[in-house]
Amino acid sequence: MKKRTKKLIALFMATMMVGSLAGCGGSGDSSSDSAAAEESGSGDSKEIVFWNIGTEEVDKAIYDKAIENFNSNTESGYTVSSVPVQNDNYKEKLVIAMSSGECPDMYISWSGGPMNEYIDSGYAQPITELFNNSELPDRLMDAAIEQAKYKDEIYAVPYMNISISGIYYNTEIFEKYNLEVPTTISELEAVCDTLVENGITPFALANGPKWTGSMYFMNLAARYGGLEPFQEAVAGTGSFEDECFIKAGETIQNWVEKGYFPEGCNSLSEDDGQARQMLYQETAAMSLAGSWYTSMMQQDSKEFAAKMGWFAFPAADDANTDASILIGTVGDNFISFNCEGEKLEAAFECATKFSEDDQIDFMIESGKIPPIKGVDEKLSDETSKTIMQAVNNASAVQLWYDQYLPPAVASVHLDTCQEIFGLTMTPEEAAKQFQQAMEEYNADKAE
Amino acid sequence: MKEKNSLLLKRQREVRNAAFIFLLPIAILMTIYVFYPIVDTFITSLYKWNGISADKTFIGLKNWQKLMTDTNFWSAFKNNIIVMILSICIQIPIGLALATYIDFVGKKATVFKVLWFIPMLMSSVAIGFLFSYALATSGGIISTISNFFGGGNIDLLGNPKTALYTVIGVIAWQFTPFYMVYTMAAFTNISTDVFEAARIDGATRSQYFWKIAFPLLKPSLKSAAILSMVGSLKYFDLIFVMTGGGPGTSTELMATYMYKYSFSKFNMGYGSTVAAGMFILISIVSLVTMRLLNGKEEA
Repeated sequence: MKKRTKKLIALFMATMMVGSLAGCGGSGDSSSDSAAAEESGSGDSKEIVFWNIGTEEVDKAIYDKAIENFNSNTESGYTVSSVPVQNDNYKEKLVIAMSSGECPDMYISWSGGPMNEYIDSGYAQPITELFNNSELPDRLMDAAIEQAKYKDEIYAVPYMNISISGIYYNTEIFEKYNLEVPTTISELEAVCDTLVENGITPFALANGPKWTGSMYFMNLAARYGGLEPFQEAVAGTGSFEDECFIKAGETIQNWVEKGYFPEGCNSLSEDDGQARQMLYQETAAMSLAGSWYTSMMQQDSKEFAAKMGWFAFPAADDANTDASILIGTVGDNFISFNCEGEKLEAAFECATKFSEDDQIDFMIESGKIPPIKGVDEKLSDETSKTIMQAVNNASAVQLWYDQYLPPAVASVHLDTCQEIFGLTMTPEEAAKQFQQAMEEYNADKAE
Repeated sequence: MKEKNSLLLKRQREVRNAAFIFLLPIAILMTIYVFYPIVDTFITSLYKWNGISADKTFIGLKNWQKLMTDTNFWSAFKNNIIVMILSICIQIPIGLALATYIDFVGKKATVFKVLWFIPMLMSSVAIGFLFSYALATSGGIISTISNFFGGGNIDLLGNPKTALYTVIGVIAWQFTPFYMVYTMAAFTNISTDVFEAARIDGATRSQYFWKIAFPLLKPSLKSAAILSMVGSLKYFDLIFVMTGGGPGTSTELMATYMYKYSFSKFNMGYGSTVAAGMFILISIVSLVTMRLLNGKEEA
């Protein structure tokens, strides 16, 4: 009997250990906690906590400069203290902080679906009035402000970078094999074929985090069908099983089979820089990447960065779509505010420091393209200039799918897109799952 | 007589009080960090909640209905079972073999004892990164060796067919030392008299191991198996660091699935349902195995 009780206790403890892991998920009674958060938010503390992702240079220096500028010059009596968080875990940490009532007073997001979730849950205050009374509407690009809006109110301050996906290419390798910058997808394929014949991987891609491969999918889909199919699919009037999405998947699989991507790209990690490594070692000649690559490469090696050229994703051969459409974000990082009254005013004042002249100059020097009016005149870097030209000529900029879509749908897109690259799922199956997730979300929302 | 009785009662009361005081801290900690979260997980599983907003909607058993028919969850459970079976089959025998070697060789084997224990000292995240680099197709050890002998790149983590087994291999690398130490401790419990008596009676080393040491080690091995089982069913860290459940969903475990819903998909309600489902499944599996392992003794 005694032995039996002992065993029962042992079993009990074992299962409890499991439970404690599971328990992490559901902790925190939100209703009382979020009230407490608001209280502490507008409380007596003169400290404004600002969560951001400036853990590495040059981003860290940019944040430090603006915050230092605010702290030493403000008359509000508040001080901002910066809490840099590793990019990979940032979103999860923010969610946990919010659910436990510890939401920071200022935090960055990438706008789109997750930002809307934060707003709907009451963790971001509208700043339309403050915004319009400040200098920001004159300073910032309209497209960037547009991206910070939700239901006709402004909820965030865009500030960091114009991040547009485009193809970086190694000019030396292109010269060596007499390659021209392609203007159509078939020309791009011809370039890739030449590279493959010479033992060079056409595209450096680390698809472990999934959003890197999604860039190829988004660009191809936009070239094959423009932006309407996507917008209609999101609204529920169209479908992700539209021809352009299937064709995008088929092209990717065709490219995988022809060896345009590094073998095993699905297990390579972008955050460890494994894609850039291939570019640096010159085993790969191109990479479809966000324009943050400019500053990253300059940081890693100025000499190498000078070798790299940039071109927008080439046009489709037979589709009558607008080839000036770009995929990316105007602003990249957006500061949201979870505080009220004087504190909000002070926090907002801090956010305006990011678009002051010498801050902008510093950001441009560091390879960023801040989303301010007339930024093209200030740029000196060739690559950044080319990118800015493409942005100015673009008829529209589509925000990344994984940022724009609600998180539940975005994660299905990322998963299926990775499987397309791994050839473990046909484009039709992937499209079907993508569509199903969107329908479920829309149905859920209508309830 | 009467006085003696009251003394006995007094003693008993004192013991009870002492026990109460000694147990209080752990009881409080358990309540806050274990019992309350579990109960709260079950309660949250009845709500539709995105994890951050103040309003939760009560939806009854809808999440549970979804869980029952969620093929992704059950395929994650299947992956967990594969991890469990292979972990037990790989880690414990190897751990036992290493411990036996160290026990037989004695002091000379101290250097191995230290070397073999090192994986256990590293954090899972560090191990995850270490192996992702080693297995990477761009300059990882395995691919480089394969290229040297003329083979192509070997992509173990990016291939849905091999990814899970590769991670299981890494998990085994990490945890085998634990079972080695576990069995080493069990070995020290066997009195040297037994060993000497067996030798005097003419038993060879292998006879001693199979006929005497092994049966004496059995109870420890059983509890090691249970530990390994529960550990594998709730496994999370290396999978999360190395594959994130991918490619596709080929290495998705229940815990990573729960994480995905709770934090990436903003669906804390369903995430809690997955967690609660995990809790129930693991309890059942543990109960059944315990019964099976101990069945003979109790009958």
